[in-house]
Amino acid sequence: MTTSRLSSGGAEIDRSSKISFKWNGKTVNGFEGDTIVSALAGSGHQLVSRSMKYHRKRGLLTADYWDPNCFVQVGDEPNVRAGHRKATNGMDISAQNVWPSLERDMKSANGLVGRFLTPGFYYKTFVRPQFLWPTYQKVLRTFAPGGAVDHQSQPLYFDKRYTHPDVVVAGAGPAGLAAATAAAEAGASVLLVEHDHAVGGHLRWGSDADRDEAARLEAAALAAGVEIMTDATVTGRYDHNWVSINQRSLHASVERLVKARAKVLVVAAGLVERPYVFAGNDALGVMTAGAARRLINLWGVKPGTTAVAMVANEHGDAAVADLEAAGVSVTSVVDGRNGEFVSSTTASKGALSSVTLGDGSTVDADLLITAVGWTAPTSLLNMAGDRPAYDETAARFFPTKLPPEVIPVGGLVGDGSTAQIIEHAAGVGRVAGATGISARRQLQAATTRAAVVDGAEPAIPAMPEPLGRDPHPELYRSDTHGMVDYSEDVSSKDLVAASKEGYDSVELMKRFTTVTMGPSQGKLETVNAVAVLAEARGETIEEVGTTVWRPPYAPISLGALGGRIFEPERVSPIHPWHEANGVTTILAGQWIRPDHYGDAQAEVTNVRNNVGIIDVTPLGKLDLRGPDVPKLLNLLYTNKWSKLAIGSVRYGVMCAEDGVVLDDGVTAHLGEDHYLMTTTSSGAAAIWEWAENWLQTERPHWQVHVTPVTTAYASINIAGPKSRELLSRLTDVDLANEAFGYMRVRTGTIGGVDDCIMWRIGFTGELSYEIHVPSGYALHVWEHLMSEGADLGIGAFGLEAQRIMRLEKGHFIVGQDTDGLTKAPTAGIGGLIKLDKDDFVGKTELSTLDVASLPVLVALQPVDGSVVPEEAAQIVLPDSNDIIGRITSSRFSPTLNRSVCLGQVEPSHAAAGNIVTVLLFSGERIPATVMEHHAHFDPEGARLRG
Amino acid sequence: MPTLGKKVGSARYSAGGLLMRGLRKQDWPRVWNDHDIKKKYDVVIVGGGVHGLATAYYLAKNHGITNVAVLEKGYLGSGGSGRNTAIVRSNYLTPEGVRFYDRSLELYGNMSVDMNLNVMFSERGHLTLAHADSALRTMHWRAEVNKLQGVNSSVIGPDEIKKIAPSLDTSAEPRYPILGALYHPPGGIIRHDAVVWAYARGADALGAHLHQQTEVLDIICEGGEGPDGKGAGGKVTGVRTSRGDISAPIVVNCTAGWATLISDMAGVKLPITTHPLEAAVTEPVKVFLPTVIVSGSLHVYVSQTDRGELVFGASIAPFATYSQAGSLDFTEELAGHVLELMPGIAKMRLLRQWAGLCDMTPDYSPVMGFTPVEGFLTDVGWGTYGFKAGPVSGEQMAKCIADNKTPELIAAFDLARFGEDRLVGEKGAAAVGH
Amino acid sequence: MLIVPCPNCGPRNSADMRYGGESHSRPDPDSTPIEEWRNYLYMHDNPAGWLKETWYCGSGCRRYFTTERNTVTNQFREPAINYPEPGGSQ
Repeated sequence: MTTSRLSSGGAEIDRSSKISFKWNGKTVNGFEGDTIVSALAGSGHQLVSRSMKYHRKRGLLTADYWDPNCFVQVGDEPNVRAGHRKATNGMDISAQNVWPSLERDMKSANGLVGRFLTPGFYYKTFVRPQFLWPTYQKVLRTFAPGGAVDHQSQPLYFDKRYTHPDVVVAGAGPAGLAAATAAAEAGASVLLVEHDHAVGGHLRWGSDADRDEAARLEAAALAAGVEIMTDATVTGRYDHNWVSINQRSLHASVERLVKARAKVLVVAAGLVERPYVFAGNDALGVMTAGAARRLINLWGVKPGTTAVAMVANEHGDAAVADLEAAGVSVTSVVDGRNGEFVSSTTASKGALSSVTLGDGSTVDADLLITAVGWTAPTSLLNMAGDRPAYDETAARFFPTKLPPEVIPVGGLVGDGSTAQIIEHAAGVGRVAGATGISARRQLQAATTRAAVVDGAEPAIPAMPEPLGRDPHPELYRSDTHGMVDYSEDVSSKDLVAASKEGYDSVELMKRFTTVTMGPSQGKLETVNAVAVLAEARGETIEEVGTTVWRPPYAPISLGALGGRIFEPERVSPIHPWHEANGVTTILAGQWIRPDHYGDAQAEVTNVRNNVGIIDVTPLGKLDLRGPDVPKLLNLLYTNKWSKLAIGSVRYGVMCAEDGVVLDDGVTAHLGEDHYLMTTTSSGAAAIWEWAENWLQTERPHWQVHVTPVTTAYASINIAGPKSRELLSRLTDVDLANEAFGYMRVRTGTIGGVDDCIMWRIGFTGELSYEIHVPSGYALHVWEHLMSEGADLGIGAFGLEAQRIMRLEKGHFIVGQDTDGLTKAPTAGIGGLIKLDKDDFVGKTELSTLDVASLPVLVALQPVDGSVVPEEAAQIVLPDSNDIIGRITSSRFSPTLNRSVCLGQVEPSHAAAGNIVTVLLFSGERIPATVMEHHAHFDPEGARLRG
Repeated sequence: MPTLGKKVGSARYSAGGLLMRGLRKQDWPRVWNDHDIKKKYDVVIVGGGVHGLATAYYLAKNHGITNVAVLEKGYLGSGGSGRNTAIVRSNYLTPEGVRFYDRSLELYGNMSVDMNLNVMFSERGHLTLAHADSALRTMHWRAEVNKLQGVNSSVIGPDEIKKIAPSLDTSAEPRYPILGALYHPPGGIIRHDAVVWAYARGADALGAHLHQQTEVLDIICEGGEGPDGKGAGGKVTGVRTSRGDISAPIVVNCTAGWATLISDMAGVKLPITTHPLEAAVTEPVKVFLPTVIVSGSLHVYVSQTDRGELVFGASIAPFATYSQAGSLDFTEELAGHVLELMPGIAKMRLLRQWAGLCDMTPDYSPVMGFTPVEGFLTDVGWGTYGFKAGPVSGEQMAKCIADNKTPELIAAFDLARFGEDRLVGEKGAAAVGH
Repeated sequence: MLIVPCPNCGPRNSADMRYGGESHSRPDPDSTPIEEWRNYLYMHDNPAGWLKETWYCGSGCRRYFTTERNTVTNQFREPAINYPEPGGSQ
C-alpha cells in the first residue's frame, strides 16, 4: 500500500462528510469531494484496471478525465472515467474487462506471448484454414475491452437546451475566466463551460495563493454576469459556430445536450500533460506530475512514499515541492532541462520498485512522476478548420489559421506568468465580446421581422500582443521503448515496427496499430506517436504532421445526443369514435388510421350491399385559387384540365420530369377561380411543395395561390348502394343522379354543418360520396351519419376493406403498384396521358418512351381462386427462375369469392388471357390469368354511376 | 500467371511466420514498396482506394498487365475506403444488382486466403428492419428476388429477430415498432483498411507502382471537341501530377468524392453530385450485438466491431458539399433512432464521428466503363455502397481494360444510359441503405 | 446546422429549409433537343467552390430563393434572392 490519505489538506474534499462505496464487492471509504480514483488511492488501492491487450496491471496515470487506466463500471454504466467521476455513497463500482478478478486476471497470459502479438498480428494469422476463422473470431470478440451494457436498465430522461450567447468560452482556467469576464464586461452575453467539476484550471491544484486567484477570477466572472457551467464539455464546434455542450451532474436530466449558436467561440482548453515513453512507463506508481499535484492538493492523498521525479518545467518543480510538503521522500530529481532522463523501471507484481536513470544508475522508488511537456488539445480548433503546426522550440503544436469567430487563448497560444496569461485573455475577451455583440446585431438586422436591434454597435478593440512561447526541451521517448497508447496497449516499439513495414504515415500507422483510437482519442498519445514515427522515419515532427482530431472533444452519451423522442402522431378528429368502436389501427407515415373494426371482409360486403363510411382525413388537400389554376393543373397532371366545368371533378396522375409516376388524386372545380386538389395521403406535403416549386421558380407570372387544407377538413367517404339515401337525410343538396351525377362536386350543409364539400367518385366501385367537412365538426357529422344510417345497415369500414374494394376495381396505389421506375403509360392509364398538350411535367420523357419495352401493370387472377399469392410474389417463366414480373397487390375478394391481384408483367407476357406462373413464398408455382381489364368487378362502372 | 505469396515467399503471412519472426526478432518486410514515378505507364489509375487498388491487382493477376501506376493524393485508403462502415451484403432488389454484389461477396469471402492477409471477414448476418407495411412488402420483394438468384435471404418476424438480436426492442411500444426484417445470413462486416492493404500488397507484389501523396492536377488529352483537345471524340495521352507528367494511353478514374472534378479534367461530364455520408463509433463495451442491423425508415445502421465498439452510419447529408467536417445534427438523429431500436444503450458514449464523400447518381447506380474520350474510363458514382462493390468492380474494370470491351456484368452501368433513359432499377433498394 | 440566409426571414437554421440543389431553369420542352433535355435532367454542376443553388424556406416564409454557397467551406455569400413573386409580371 503506497498511496494513502494524508492527515490534512485536500482543497476539494470535506473530511467531515464521509462516504463509502463498493469496489469489486469490498467497501471503500472516502470523503465528499473525492473522485472514484482519489478515494481508491486514498484507501491504498493502486490497481484500477487491466490493459486491453496484455491485461497488464494498471493504476492511475493522470488522475483526471483523460486517465486511460481508470475506466470502471458503475452499476449499469460502462466506461465511467474514475479519474473524473465524483464518488458518491453507495456506488457499486467494479473493474472492467477482467476475469476472474482484477487481481488475478487469466488473460494476462497474453503478456507472455506479447512479442508475437505485434501490431496487426491478426491480419497475418488465422488465414488458413479458412473454416476455422469464425471460431477464432468468436474468441477474439471475448477480448473486447470495456464495460458491459445492461439492456434491461430502465429508460432514462435526457433533455436538451438551446442557447444563443454572444460568446461561448470553452474552458474555465485562468485564461477562460479572464476572457469570459472581459467579454461580459464589454456587454456580451457569455456562457463559460468547464470540463471539470470546478473552475480555476491548473490553479486549483496549485498553491493556496493560486486557489485564491481562482476564487477571485470566478467572483469577477459571476459579477460580470457570466453563466458558468461546470462538469460540462464543449464537445464540438460545427459549421457556422454551432457549438455542442454536454452538461453532466444534473438532477433533472442524466446528461443534457446544450446547443449554442455562438457568435464567437473562445477556446481556452489549456494544455494536457504528456506522459513520457520508456520501458516500464505503465507500472503502478508511474504518473504525471499533474496527477501527483491533484492527489495531494485537491484530495489530500499521498501518491507514494519514495519518489523519483523527472522534471523539465516549472510545473514539475512545483510538483517536487508538493511531494516534499506531503512527506514523500524525493530521492532523485532528474532534470530534463539538463539532458537528464529516466531510462526504465522495474516493477514487483506490477508496482514500481526501482527506476533506472539515463546515466545507468538505479534508484529504489514506489513513485515516479514525470513533467516532460504538454500536448495542446487543439480538437475544437481542428473542427474549425485549423491545421496546427509544430514548434520545436516550445515542443508543442500551435494553431495556424482560424476563422475570426474562433479565438484561442491561454496555453493553446503561448506561455507566460498567470498574470500575463490573464491579461492576454482579458484583451482577447474584450475583442470577442465586441465581435460577438456586433455579429449578433448583424443577425438581428438581417432578420427582417425582428423588432429591435439591441444596443449600439460596439467598437472592436485591437487584439492584444500575442503571448510569448517559452522554450521547452523536446522529450518524447527515452532510450528505451514503452507504452505510447495505454488504452490500446500500443508501444513505441510497435509503432517503429509498423513504420518499417510500410505503415509509415500518421494515418496509416494509426489505422494499422490502432494508436490514438481508444477512449482518450489521442489527448495523451498523439504527439508521442508522431514523435516516435518521426524518429523512425528520420524526419522532424513537423514533416510527419499530425492526425486530424475529430468531434466530439470528449465522449457524449447516446442518451444526451438522442434526447427525448419527439415523433409526432397524427390522428383525425374522428379518431375518438374509432377507438370507442373496436378499431384496429395501422401506421401510415405519421398518421394512425383505422385498418378495420374486426372483420374487413364483412365490411366490404356491407358496403357492396348497404352503405359504409370510412375516415379518409389524411387525404392530402390543397385549396387552389386564382385565374391560372387550370394552367397549373395542366402542367402538373398528365391529362387536360382547361375544360373542367365548375361543379365537376376529374382524376389525374402526376409525373416527375423523368416520366415516373409521382402522385395521383382527384381535383374539383368548386367555383370561379377556385379548385380543391386532393393528393395521396403520403404525398400531401411533397405535392404542396411541388406545386409551390413550379409556381415560384418556373411559372412565377401565373396567378395561383396554394393553401394546404389537409387537416382543415376531415374527409369521409360514404359508399354503397344506400349512400344516396343516407346522405339525403343529412343535406338539402339535391342528390338525384340527374342533378348531382358521377364525377360532380357540390358544396352545402351536411348535418347542420355549413361549407361542406361533397363529390361523387368511385374508388370503391360503389355509388359513393366523398365529403370534406370542416374538421371541428367532423366527429359530429360522422356520428350523425352513423345514427341516421342505422336502419340502412350502415357500418364503418377501414383501410383494409378499402384496399380490397379498390383492388376488386383494379385501382392502383402509387408506390405499391408503381415503383421508382414506373413510367406513367405502363400503369394502365395511357388514356390519361395527353401528349398533344403544350406541356406537362414529364412530357418530354413520355414522348420518347418506348412503352413496348417496359413492364405493364395488369390485373391477374389465379386459376385456383382460393389461393391468394403474397404481395411481392414473383412471376417467373414456367420452367426457370427467370423473373418476368411480380404481384404488387393481392387480396381475397369477398364480392367475387376468389383471389384478385394486380401485378407488373413483362410486355411479352402481358396479353389478356395469357397464363403466367406465380411463385408463391412457399416455393409452389401456380398459374394465373392476365385479365382484360384492371377491374375484376363491374368493369363498366355501372354501380358507381347509378 | 504470377501467384501471390511465392514471389514474396519469406513475407508470407502465417501464424508460423509470426512465431519465427517473434523468436528471431525479425521485422516484417514492407507491405508495399515506394518507387520513383516512371515517365510512362500502360495504365494510370487515379485513386488509391479499394476500387483503384483492386483494378491494379486484377489487371496484373488476371490479365498480366503490370506496367500500372495507382496515383493517390493522400495515403492509400484515405477516402471512402477508410471511412465506410465496412458492411458487405448481396441482398439487392434487381437480379442484375444481386448477381453483381454476390460476386463481390464471393471475392470478399475468399479474400483472406486469396490475398494471404486476414481481412477479418465476419459473416455475421444482416438484418434490415421494416417498421411499416410498405417496407415489409419491399423486404419480401427483395427476399423473393434473392432466393431466385440463389442468395440466402428471407423475411422473419419480431420473435425471430429478438432471438437473433436480443438487444432490439421488438415490442409494440416504439413509435414505429419493428414489424419484421429481411434476414441475410451471408452479409456481414469486414476490416475495411485490411482490404485496402491486401489489394495494395497484392498489386505491388505483382509489379504495379503505388504512388501516395501524388495528386492528379490535369488529364492530358488530344483531338477532343473541347478546349485543349479534351472532351468527346478525343483521346487520353497522360496525366499531369503534383510530381510531374506521366504519359499513358489509358487513365481510369477510380475516385469517390472527387469523381466529377477528375472527369472534368478530361472534359467528361458526369451525372453526379457529391454529398457527405457520416459515421460514428462508440466506446467499446462487451460484445452484445451479433449481427448487422439496418433500419431504412429510421435511417440508421449499426454493427459491433470485434473490439466492442458500435459503428453507426445514417443517410447522406441533405445538401451537396465537399466538406467532411461532420455535423451535430447527424449524431443527434442517429442517437435518437438507435435508442428507439435499443433503449438499453443510452449510457454508451459516442467516441468519434467522421464523414466521407459520396458521389450520388440519379439511379443510385455507378458509372462504369468507357466514356466519350478514348482511353478515359470511369469506375465512379458509387454513392453509399462503393466499398461493398470494391472487389467485383476491380475485377470487371480490369477485364474491361484488358479486353477493350465492356463486360456483361457492368454493361448496365454505362455512362450512355443517362442520355438514353435506361436508368438502373436499384433505386428502391439502395434508398434503404446499408 | 448551417445558417442559411433567407431573403425574407433572415438567417435561419438549415433545419428550417429544404435544399433544392443547383439553380437551373427548365428548358423549353418543345424546342430542346433530347440530349440537352437529358443534360437538364441528370447533369448538374458539382463544383468544389461557389455554387448558385436553390433553397426552400419551408418552416418560414415558404419561398424558394437562390443564394451562393461555397461547397468546400459551406460559407454563404450575398445575394440571397427570391424567385419572382408568384403572380408577378413575366
